[in-house]
This record gives sequence, C-alpha cells and structure tokens, in this order.
Amino acid sequence: MADKSNDPVAIWQNLIGEMEKGFNSFANQAMASPEFSKVVNQVGGVTAGAQKQLGDLMEKYLVSMNLPSRAQMVSMAERLQSIEGQLSEIKALLHQVHNNSSAPVGYAGAPKPPRTKRPPSADGEQK
Amino acid sequence: MNAPAGLDLASIPERIQSEVQRAIQRSIKGVEYISSSGPSLGSTPKDILAVRGTMNLYHYRPIADEIYRVPILIVMATTNRGYILDMVPGQSFIEFLLRRGYDVYMLDWTAPKPEEKSLRMEDYVLDFIPNCIRRVQQDSGEQDVTVIGYCFGGVLSLLYGSIFKDGPMKNLICFTTPIDFREMKLFQNFSDRRYFDVDRLVDSIGNVPPEMILSSFEMLRPASRAASQVQLWENIWNDEFVKSYRMFDRWATDTLPLAGEYFRQTVKDLMWDNKLYNDTMSVGGRVANIADIKVPILHAVAEHDHIVPYDAAKHLITKVGSSDKEEVMLKGGHVSLVAGANAIKRLWPKLDNWLAGRST
Repeated sequence: MADKSNDPVAIWQNLIGEMEKGFNSFANQAMASPEFSKVVNQVGGVTAGAQKQLGDLMEKYLVSMNLPSRAQMVSMAERLQSIEGQLSEIKALLHQVHNNSSAPVGYAGAPKPPRTKRPPSADGEQK
Repeated sequence: MNAPAGLDLASIPERIQSEVQRAIQRSIKGVEYISSSGPSLGSTPKDILAVRGTMNLYHYRPIADEIYRVPILIVMATTNRGYILDMVPGQSFIEFLLRRGYDVYMLDWTAPKPEEKSLRMEDYVLDFIPNCIRRVQQDSGEQDVTVIGYCFGGVLSLLYGSIFKDGPMKNLICFTTPIDFREMKLFQNFSDRRYFDVDRLVDSIGNVPPEMILSSFEMLRPASRAASQVQLWENIWNDEFVKSYRMFDRWATDTLPLAGEYFRQTVKDLMWDNKLYNDTMSVGGRVANIADIKVPILHAVAEHDHIVPYDAAKHLITKVGSSDKEEVMLKGGHVSLVAGANAIKRLWPKLDNWLAGRST
C-alpha cells in the first residue's frame, strides 16, 4: 500500500481538512467577541428590515401584475397536500364501510398488524 | 537520486492513470450533477393523519407482520424537515424502526404562514404535541406512547413531559437535546441581549426567515460549506458520495422559518434566562420542571456536535426525575448521529436495544 505521506492527493485532502479546521477555529474565536455580536446585530437588523420591505414591495408588484407570489404557491401546495390527506381519509372510510370487516383496519384501509411483538431474547430469538 | 522513503515509484504510472480517469469522470459526472435532480427523499409510505397550519402528523405504514404494543411519536425540530430521519431506502431511520416492528408516527412541521407569527411555545407544547398524542392514541388504540425528540424537538418533548407528568408518555428518547443554553457559546453571543433586539426583529418582520436560521447555523463553521464543495468536486466521480452529499445538502439548506412569538420566547426564556436549566421554566403559566419527568429516558449525544455541544446537553440525564435513565455518547456530529452510515451502525441498533423491552 502506498505511503499516504507521499501521496499528493492525500496531502491535498489533508491540507484542505486542516485549512477548514483552522479557519473554523479562528472564525469561532473571532465570533465569540462582544464586538462581533454588536456589528452582526446592527447589520443583521438593518438587512432583515430591508429584506422585509423588499418582500412586501415584491408582493405588491406581483399583485398588480396579477401573478402569484412564492408564498401563495407554497400555500397552494400545502392545501393540495391537505386535500390529498383528506382524500386518503375518505378512501380509508369507504374501504372500511365496503368491507364491513370487524378486523382492525389501518388508516389507508390495510389491515393493521397485531401489537403482540416481543423483544428478542438474549440468544437473538423472538419471544 | 534515491526515491523518498515510502514513495513507491512503480505505482506512479498507475496512479497517474487513475487520476486522469477520475478527472474525465469528474467532467462527465459534473454535467450530470448540474442537469439532474437529487434522490427522492422521505419516500417511506405514510398517511397524513392531521394537518393544522404548521403542524403535520404522519403515520408510517407498518412493514412488519407483528408490531410492538407501544407506538412511537417522533417530534421533529421546528427549524428542520423530518425527512432527515427518512432519507432513502436503506438509509432511513423510519424504515429501520418499521422493519424492527415499531409503529411510527411523526410530528413534522411546515413553514408557518405570516398569519401564524403569533404562535407561541404554548401552541407547540400545550396544543400541537398533546393533540398529536391523542391522534396517535385514537389511531393505534393504545394509551401509552413513546416520544422521540430530535434537537429542539427534544426540548419541546421535555417541556411536554414535564407538564403532562401523569402520562400518557411511556418512554422518552432525546437526540442531542440542549438544556443549558449558556453553553451554546456562539448562539449565546449571536443573541447577546445587549446588542440583539429580538423585540424589534420580531415586531418588524413577523416570522424569522429561514435564511437567517440557516446563516446562524452556517456561521458556526464558516469554512465548512466551501470545503464541502471542494470535497464534492474531488469525489464527484463517486456516485455514492454524490448521492449522500445531495441528500444532506438538500436537507441542511431546507431550513424552516420560525414563528415570530415562538422565536421571541425561545430567545428570552432559554437563550437569555436559561430557564430550563434553572428550573424556572413555565409554558402558558404551567410549571415545566424536567425533574418531574419520571418515565424511562434515553439521551443520545454526539461526540463532535458543533450545534449542541456536549456541555449544553450533559445535564439532561442528571436533572430528570426518572430512575430508569441513560445517556449514550456516540461518535459523530449533530446530524451524522441520527442519519447516514454512522447512525446505521451506532445509534439505530442502540436505540432498538433500549426501546424493544420498553415497548411491550
């Protein structure tokens, strides 16, 4: 097996790993200072406010163009998901009524397995 | 001139050939990477039992012919999607539990809508979780429920267990759950009360945007994203590496916004006043002291967790009132503890061993 200390690829990978660790450690030390917190929170507060205003402006623009916003599309997708959930509930109920079975039935209409499982014994067999 | 010690001259042509082949593969696979979508995640068959705003309750369809009596409810962290526990077949914690004969439910979250900005901790602990527990009881026909909480889902589960101390929670499993928020040093500094005006932030923007949550996570290891891109390029010829990279990258960047009031409470009660650790926490006027938790509890922590350092999590087991309690520290980080190759070998079998005997 080739010696890793002379393998240029291994050396390169090791170098990247060490650089990552070194930079993370250095940055974490810098970020632990109160000055960092002060600056980040000043900048962050301004940026968040500006993003919110830009978002509101875009929303108004999209409304004026009669176009849906991303939030509306996401909301629509979630409503569709909810409708799918209700459909599968109705399907399960229909299945239950149709079968008129006394056996316990799962949410999607499939029979539920019995709740009788025991933990494996020390020798690996099911009790 | 002699070759340096350890350098095998005979292997050099073979090595060059291998590197040239990889370079060609990188170009081909690089184009494939850009033009294709990642693997489909969270595909274990499930039914939606309840949807209410940000709250989603799933029931995964049992695979085993015979299942344990006590169902499991997994409570996900409010910042991230639940599919981290259901990546792809063979690497899905959910699938593992189903194959081992557990009946699995998950309380997962979607992005709170702007009108949900007023959701508070009370909504999560006194409404969403109890509501899901009731639905699990109705659906399974069992009174007892095992609760598994991941990261902040663990905090919510602890608060729930402290308040509803008479049941129906039968067992509690927490993954990487912080209780001493002083020890989350960088998050503490980011939210330093002298400079971080949480009231102004929440009052002006409502829900906290996912970009802000993601940046705060990424700032904990600022060089790691760039380094992971380099790693991806080096390994882009390796389909398994690329698949795994895409799964984790997609999940990590798929961060959820946080409801404004809930974020405000989290910052003030936990980050600033450290109320959970100081035994002064209350939710909706109800005392939440984790010493009141008496059910069997397992806390799994990661040795190299940069998000929830061990110092922030280590007091959980000593502070709960249970007599049957165990902390297990495993190799790995915050995410690799629960998902990926390490989790398959380490956490999952450990959890199965612990839970099987307590699920009958």
